[in-house]
Amino acid sequence: MAASAIASINFKAAALELLPEGANFEACLSCGLCSSGCPASGMENMDPRKFIRMALLGMDEELSTTPWIWCCTMCKRCQYVCPMSIDVSQLVFLARGNWPEDRKPAGIVRSCQLATSSDSTSAMGMPPADFVAVVEEVLEEVRATQPDFRHLQAPIDRRGAHFFVNQNSREPMNEPEEMVPLWKIFDVVGADWTYASKGWAAENFCMFSGNEDAWREVVRKRVDAVNQLGCEVWLNTECGHSYYSMWQGIERFRLEANFRLESIVTWYAQWIREGKLPVDARWNSKGIKFTVQDPCMIVRKAYGDAIAEDMRFVVRTLVGEENFVDMQPNRSANYCCGGGGGFLQAGMTEHRRTYGKRKFDQIAATGAAYVLTPCHNCHSQMHDIGRFYGGHYGVVHLWTLICLSLGILGKNERIYLGPELRG
Amino acid sequence: MRGSGTPRQFSTQLAVIGSGIAGFAASIFAVNRQIATAQVGNTGALAYTTGYLDLIGKRGGAVVVDPWQALASLRESEPKHPLSRLDAGDIRQAFTEFTDFLGACGLAYSAPGTGNLTALTPAGTLKQTLCMPATMTAGPRALAADAPCVIVDFKGLKGFSGAELVANLRQRWPQLTTQRIVFPGMERGEIYPEVMARALEVAATREQLAAALRAVAGTARLIGLPAILGMHRPDQVRAELERLTGREIFEIPTMPPSVPGIRLRELMQQVLPQKGVTLIPQQRVTALSFEGDGATLALCDAFGPIRVHAQAVILATGRFLSGGLEAHPAGIREHLLDLPVTQPADRADWYRARYTDPRGHPINSAGIEIDDSFRPLTGEGRRYHERLFAAGVILAHQDWIRGRSGAGIAIATAFKAVTEAERFLAGRQAMVPGAPPLQCH
Amino acid sequence: MSSDATTLETEVLIIGGGVTGAGIMRDLALRGIHSLLIDKRDLCAGASGGNHGLLHSGARYVSTDPDAAIECRKENALLKRLVPQCIETADGLFVAVQGDDPEFADRFPALCQHAGIDCGELTPAEARRLEPVLSEKLFKAYRVPDATIDPFHLAMLNVDHARLLNGSHYRPHTEVLRFEVAAGEIRAAICHDHLHQRRLTIRARQFVNAGGAWAMNIARLAACADVHLLYAKGTILVSNDRLAQRVINRLRPPGDGDILVPGGTVSLLGTTSTRVEDLEQVAPTAEEIDRNIHEGAAMIPALAGARYIRAFSRVRPLLQTSGATDRAATRGFALLDHASQGVDNFCTITGGKLTTFRLMAERTADLVARRLGNDRAGLTATVPLPDDEASSWADPVAAQKRWHHDRDPDDMILCECEMVPQSAIEQVFANSPDIEKERTIDLIALRTRAGKGPCQGSFCGIRIGSYLYDRGYYRDATGLAHLRDFLDERFKGQRSVIWGPQAAQMELAEALHCGLLGLDTLEDE
Repeated sequence: MAASAIASINFKAAALELLPEGANFEACLSCGLCSSGCPASGMENMDPRKFIRMALLGMDEELSTTPWIWCCTMCKRCQYVCPMSIDVSQLVFLARGNWPEDRKPAGIVRSCQLATSSDSTSAMGMPPADFVAVVEEVLEEVRATQPDFRHLQAPIDRRGAHFFVNQNSREPMNEPEEMVPLWKIFDVVGADWTYASKGWAAENFCMFSGNEDAWREVVRKRVDAVNQLGCEVWLNTECGHSYYSMWQGIERFRLEANFRLESIVTWYAQWIREGKLPVDARWNSKGIKFTVQDPCMIVRKAYGDAIAEDMRFVVRTLVGEENFVDMQPNRSANYCCGGGGGFLQAGMTEHRRTYGKRKFDQIAATGAAYVLTPCHNCHSQMHDIGRFYGGHYGVVHLWTLICLSLGILGKNERIYLGPELRG
Repeated sequence: MRGSGTPRQFSTQLAVIGSGIAGFAASIFAVNRQIATAQVGNTGALAYTTGYLDLIGKRGGAVVVDPWQALASLRESEPKHPLSRLDAGDIRQAFTEFTDFLGACGLAYSAPGTGNLTALTPAGTLKQTLCMPATMTAGPRALAADAPCVIVDFKGLKGFSGAELVANLRQRWPQLTTQRIVFPGMERGEIYPEVMARALEVAATREQLAAALRAVAGTARLIGLPAILGMHRPDQVRAELERLTGREIFEIPTMPPSVPGIRLRELMQQVLPQKGVTLIPQQRVTALSFEGDGATLALCDAFGPIRVHAQAVILATGRFLSGGLEAHPAGIREHLLDLPVTQPADRADWYRARYTDPRGHPINSAGIEIDDSFRPLTGEGRRYHERLFAAGVILAHQDWIRGRSGAGIAIATAFKAVTEAERFLAGRQAMVPGAPPLQCH
Repeated sequence: MSSDATTLETEVLIIGGGVTGAGIMRDLALRGIHSLLIDKRDLCAGASGGNHGLLHSGARYVSTDPDAAIECRKENALLKRLVPQCIETADGLFVAVQGDDPEFADRFPALCQHAGIDCGELTPAEARRLEPVLSEKLFKAYRVPDATIDPFHLAMLNVDHARLLNGSHYRPHTEVLRFEVAAGEIRAAICHDHLHQRRLTIRARQFVNAGGAWAMNIARLAACADVHLLYAKGTILVSNDRLAQRVINRLRPPGDGDILVPGGTVSLLGTTSTRVEDLEQVAPTAEEIDRNIHEGAAMIPALAGARYIRAFSRVRPLLQTSGATDRAATRGFALLDHASQGVDNFCTITGGKLTTFRLMAERTADLVARRLGNDRAGLTATVPLPDDEASSWADPVAAQKRWHHDRDPDDMILCECEMVPQSAIEQVFANSPDIEKERTIDLIALRTRAGKGPCQGSFCGIRIGSYLYDRGYYRDATGLAHLRDFLDERFKGQRSVIWGPQAAQMELAEALHCGLLGLDTLEDE
């Protein structure tokens, strides 16, 4: 069957509608700071400046059909460095949504379809019953094999819990033991939390596919789930775009959410400051060096530098001030790793790795042995480019290191640690 | 959604509006004086700076060799020029403090000297400047000595041509040659200085580039490169390349988007928060109001509204490029408070007939008026508010472009504004014992 | 014929490289007559390049000059068929807004019908659906077959075709100083070659004055006093982007700021009309700019806040007739054979408008051919104008599309605003006239879209300059002087519309060109 044709969007009209006055394409000085600072520049003969110019020149057909929109991760770095604050990502989003489903990268579409296919909203299609079963099974195992945690809890659908905790599907699907460190952290701080059988998943590739209806549907299910359990806080765990898609989705689709959205990173920092998470860096006697990756989705595109500072406070405490090396640039100015925007799922491996070269260079320049990041897409991408470009670093979640520091990290919870930390 | 839409509140002693050189300089001076500071505002033109810190490079179209002497004569002929209203000692101290701060943060600068330095431009012309990054100083020295030198440019890097430099410098620098090479790992398509600079932060790239440089350097004792010597550790990158090539290496600024400006922006954005400054970069202040006990700045970032409450405010919002001034068909306006702007009577007089007229355009001297304490004035010549100070190129009666004095005006007036704000704050503190320190809540 | 010779010979010397001169050159070539076309500056440097680029349907003149309207209608249809590559069949709207004379609006269809011009009424809602920028205060709208035409492209194609046909030749930068007249005939034109700063003698059998607004001055060089022109200065603004798809005319008798014409990627708003005496010193005034915007905004409110990147003024020659106002003065053209002035091999063609250039050229060529004893009929009404690849770099959007589809990452874009790549420059050099052996920034600026976007050459000028140094076309400080001159020249068009984002653009440009590169004090360096 022949693939569907891609209709032409009137980008200039769309820009006038979508972009605020004063930050419209009209204000572009053609200076090129956007392109200079964009890892997707040059791919498919395109870059942010060309995108703007072609929109203004009325090259709608070319822009409507360029595959570059799937290389742009909509990370908004171009807007961040633009003196006129011009935002290209909104038009990229529009162009993505305009592609017929059968032309969009199949991986992104499939992930979205799976998310809308069950009440879990899991992009890996894990149904509620399976999630509940996996959590119970893993919990049993921990209680049985780790005596310190024989009373560990992983509540599901507990009404009135303070935190409604989301969960990236990767763990319950592929590496269930990786869920345990977070449970242990909740246990240590005495958090009042629950998982849910419905709307528990974190991912939202519908947003990346430009499919607004599906994006809304996924967010709506999650909002309903939190409302139903009457939780105060929807707590986003170590996943970047889940936060952004939920936050923006609630605002965009005007959904009624009777709860706050908060990030686990902020809470790690608070629990450490309050003394509830008594972590320190004594375990790192060999002076292993760490760096952090600021996920675009929670730093530049959402909380700004405040959450980046929280993350650094957590990491510095965990690894020791002298063992922390910042990536350059960092915080809100950081580069997207190239795993975001659905790039990892898009099947454009060569492009994605080319994009990721800049991230690899950033990491290499730090000389760090590990990159810490509270984002699954960042995690997978940095892991992949590390191997592809011959890097020698590991990528770990914050929860792993917190439990390591507390001395409560189980033997099988160390898959992302190198031999020196496998214990 | 619960909790959304409520502005986040910050309280501080001093709020600096603007994130250009003037704004950052103000924050540096405030940090050095232990003044609790919040800095907000779009970076505007900072990313376009060359790295050269000019004080006075030209007067009346003529080259200025001794800016301090020029300052004295400026005082005579242009008493309203912002630099004329400052003490030469203060200007020198401002430059020293500013460059020392950058040096301490890992971006070494030459100290302000008794005369101007002759700096290279990417067109092969020369310009006079007071201070330059350490990565650029070897070029002018080599020019003065006619040392054997090769300018290396790169396939795919637009707007930087070794041939152009050689063609325009040949008379002054007979021993200058040029070579073109491929940047390691960037064989195809367009390449950007920013990307090259970041790649050079990696040891492996430095080694490959050094090998390529050695292959073309021949008998040259020095190698001149576009400004690409690293983004975060330029001095180390240069030292490393010098070690690997066995030659002295220097940078020449490039046209935008160029590395030295991005270097400064990233350095400031990282260092100032570490020094306790509440920095909210890349966001424009939408309103500034004064109440009995202070000033309130309103702005919005991606996350939502923010309010900053301050005891004193420095307005360093720049000109048209950074948004401090707005040119409307009906006249030029100051965008935040609608302060009166001194300007040509008629729009027809904004620009001269010839773009490159060495006398400059009358619009360039438009700006806001201040009193001797650098407080902006109302149309009636009164202080707008005792808590409000101004610094940078938003000030009237200067043409920083023709005078080659942009950084000088920014740094020196920021110094003055901070000094005056400090005096004001100290007065308030003396009157109100136990005034609140910096609070973030 | 060698271009190095200080004496050139041809059958016909055509003075004036506007569209009419270029059209005559081709028309003659199609009849087998060799000609030399000269211009003291370059193609379309006068009114040909200083108008809206409107291919009139004729509707604009139905109330003031029905004959001109009919002429336009016919030429419009012909050109759409014969030179489609230079024409965008945009369509035109005539719209009346609150305050305009409803009677005039009601009469309009009948006037169009009388001139044979297709005119259909639209409801205000339909019109605003077609062009959402139109004012809500619109009360009447008609659709007419207006179109747009690129005069630069058109002139270049005419010149190129003439060259291909019989080696007819074009020389820019060549100004007539005087004529050698003997026995009632011009024997030679004594010219100055501005490019090489030397004297040039051009001998021909026939001389054609197609000098546009300068025609009266040129005629006087041959002591012909029968050309009577009025000079009307028109000022037009160019917006940063294209605001409407169609030509939008105000439905009222012609006046200021009453027409918005799409020009590829931009829109042109005009025009004011002021009588002037001086042909050389014309520049837009703030008052003219404001008047255009004020009037235009009544039709299209967005014009009040639009970003303008240029404004220009050009002098249009109007044939002097007694009693009429400038607006009502005939837009028709005149061909003067100068027989009454005692010169038998000289003629002047002037007046008219872009839309009727072909007809003007044909009438002139008829006269010249007859005088030369050539009885072949003109073919420009039947032979389509062939395409030419090099000149298409002057065509907005086509160039970008070509580059985008070629997808050679090493063919780097030098002008980012208009997306002009290196290969365009090489192609222009390869196809430029012999006289322009010098590979300069100016040549690129003339023959491509480089420098025509919002940055107005401030970045691409530097990049193109560096590229020309790289290629060895510049080997000394000349390149920087050319860069400065190029920027000074671009500035003339920007000077009167620098506000809003354009003021930011200018500050950045000045900081770069003067603050860093020192182009303001180049001589002292």
